[in-house]
Amino acid sequence: MAFKKLDVRGEICPYPMMKTVQALKKLKAEDEGLEVITDHAPALETIPTQAARLGYTAQIEETATPEWRILLTRSH
Amino acid sequence: MSLKIDTEKSKSPWQAFLDGLGYSGRRGVSRQVGLGLIAVVVALIILCAVNIVQGEMALFWVFGLAFGFVLQRSRFCFASAFRDIFLLGHGRNMKGVLLGLAVGTAGFAVLMAKYVPNPTLGTLPPDANVLPLGWHTVLGGVLFGIGMVVAGGCVSGSVYRMGEGYVASWFSMGGILVGLAVAGLTWNWWWDVSISHSPRIWLPTTLGHGGAVAVTMLGLLVAYLLVLWWESRSGVVIPDPQFQGSDEDTFAARLNDTLKRIFVRGWSAVAGGAVLGGLNVLLFTAAHPWGFTGELSRWALGFTNWMGIGPGTLKGAASLPGCALDVGDGNLLNHMLFLVWGMVFGSYIAAVFSGEFKIRVPRQKVRYVQALGGGTAMGYGAGLAMGCTIGAFFSAIPSLALNGWVFALALAVGAWIGTQIIQRIA
Repeated sequence: MAFKKLDVRGEICPYPMMKTVQALKKLKAEDEGLEVITDHAPALETIPTQAARLGYTAQIEETATPEWRILLTRSH
Repeated sequence: MSLKIDTEKSKSPWQAFLDGLGYSGRRGVSRQVGLGLIAVVVALIILCAVNIVQGEMALFWVFGLAFGFVLQRSRFCFASAFRDIFLLGHGRNMKGVLLGLAVGTAGFAVLMAKYVPNPTLGTLPPDANVLPLGWHTVLGGVLFGIGMVVAGGCVSGSVYRMGEGYVASWFSMGGILVGLAVAGLTWNWWWDVSISHSPRIWLPTTLGHGGAVAVTMLGLLVAYLLVLWWESRSGVVIPDPQFQGSDEDTFAARLNDTLKRIFVRGWSAVAGGAVLGGLNVLLFTAAHPWGFTGELSRWALGFTNWMGIGPGTLKGAASLPGCALDVGDGNLLNHMLFLVWGMVFGSYIAAVFSGEFKIRVPRQKVRYVQALGGGTAMGYGAGLAMGCTIGAFFSAIPSLALNGWVFALALAVGAWIGTQIIQRIA
């Protein structure tokens, strides 16, 4: 069980969110979830909702200024 | 989580102050807050210097700073307001836009009723964004809608993201100026074919002030209900995380929480919309509604005319309000220049204080093409429609002008097309 990683730093709106959704759809059964690294603050408001609709819960952690790690875990 | 290396005894007073503001454990933030304080001092120096030259320029500098600050804090984005309805089934930003329009409508109505006590005589309120309505409005709106989604931000969005350090947004601005320059070259053709014989429809002329406000508010309410219904069909919506205030009841703790809410935490979209709507009313009270595409066109057309490749003169444009194209008079300095750069600077100040400033460089080359191409489409569309999402929409619907609604519908169509395009670009 492991987390896939996705680095979307530097991306323009709305690609951080779109790439996250694509990556979530590609996850395999053995993946626990997805770890997204972003510097795009608006993504913090859109990703949790999109992830929830695909069955993942989001945990946001600030890792630098401005940088966030969003941990998306499959909810059972 | 592993970043809290400070121990209580090694803290400098500066670090303790930052920690109190909720910055503890955030790397590199003290430098950003320091930059923010310097930026505020610079903004004040510019204010004082400009005030000596002309009071109006100083006033518009202050308005620009305020608009930029609020746009950044609430991440207010018209492109995402329209796009996220289609792309995500999420109405967060559109709800903020609708509230801003409602606030603007209430304020504008009071002002316009004062300027034009009897609207049924056919007079139009001076400076309100009641623009010629025709096919150019529709085409302009569709092009603008496509451009803003492809570029990842509309004109105001690009302006505030320039201040946040998004390199692509500077490319968008370049594209917008190119688009406006091209629009200038075709303006006289459009004037003859469509704009000159298009009606300027102000709702109070037929409905009276009260009726026009009622119809506008009802329209906004219906739009709000549609957004809610659409969102409910699209699945769950996770609300923005709640603000966790301090447990302490002291004055210092409360003050700290207030500062955090304003400067550090992102504002909700509805808070941003309400404040922007209010600022728009204030600006109309002071001079004219918010909008700045006309000023951007003054740079683009002034430059191309100076180069000898510009449109020369524009038929009828000087008689139109709002953001109609403008060739300028050869002077660079004017009050609108300070509004636009005030917005960039205000956004920069907001971004550094919240620790959200960063030079962000897209890794894929195609993003620069998108920014330039989307920007050019936006610039041309704004030239045709005589305004962007601000002048032809956010200031036009509150002007009780029919062209605002038509432009909004065209924007929605364009945003839908734009959404189809970006989903095909990896």
